[in-house]
Amino acid sequence: MALPQISTADQAKLQLMQEMEIEMMSDLYNRMTNACHKKCIPPRYSESELGKGEMVCIDRCVAKYLDIHEKIGKKLTAMSMQDEELMKKMSS
Amino acid sequence: MAKTPENIALDQLDKDQIKTFSDFLMSYNKLSETCFTDCIRDFTSRDVKDSEEKCSLNCMEKYLKMNQRVSQRFQEFQVIAHENALAMAQKTGKL
Repeated sequence: MALPQISTADQAKLQLMQEMEIEMMSDLYNRMTNACHKKCIPPRYSESELGKGEMVCIDRCVAKYLDIHEKIGKKLTAMSMQDEELMKKMSS
Repeated sequence: MAKTPENIALDQLDKDQIKTFSDFLMSYNKLSETCFTDCIRDFTSRDVKDSEEKCSLNCMEKYLKMNQRVSQRFQEFQVIAHENALAMAQKTGKL
């Protein structure tokens, strides 16, 4: 099966989109790290090892953060689709 | 002079290296800020106290360990998300 030919303009667009996605992912990662640090590591540094409770907290924090990220994304898409439909109805 | 593919690849490598380096510098600054605000509260003397230094260094080490753990978990989630997307694509492709 041959791949369909993609024009250079489309290729550039695709690459830009990919770069934006990588950028967005690293931003998400940084924000998540900061949020979980704030929430899970109390600012008393009597030792440099992670405590057991802190480890569990970090695991849950990451899982929850990504869950919420996904949920908000879904809701946002649903809302914008609804908006678009409304706009279509209004204009027709 | 026209760019050979090697040149373009080299440019890309440079770009990636610069990005990595700037990311490193950013996280270094962020780390300093966090540990400074968490550990240094007493401004009645100019000298960094032993306890303050110890706290700052512990803070740094702990932050790096936390970062390692977060990155591990994040990767795990991404693998799962990728597998789900792949399965979805196969399913819709078959239908």
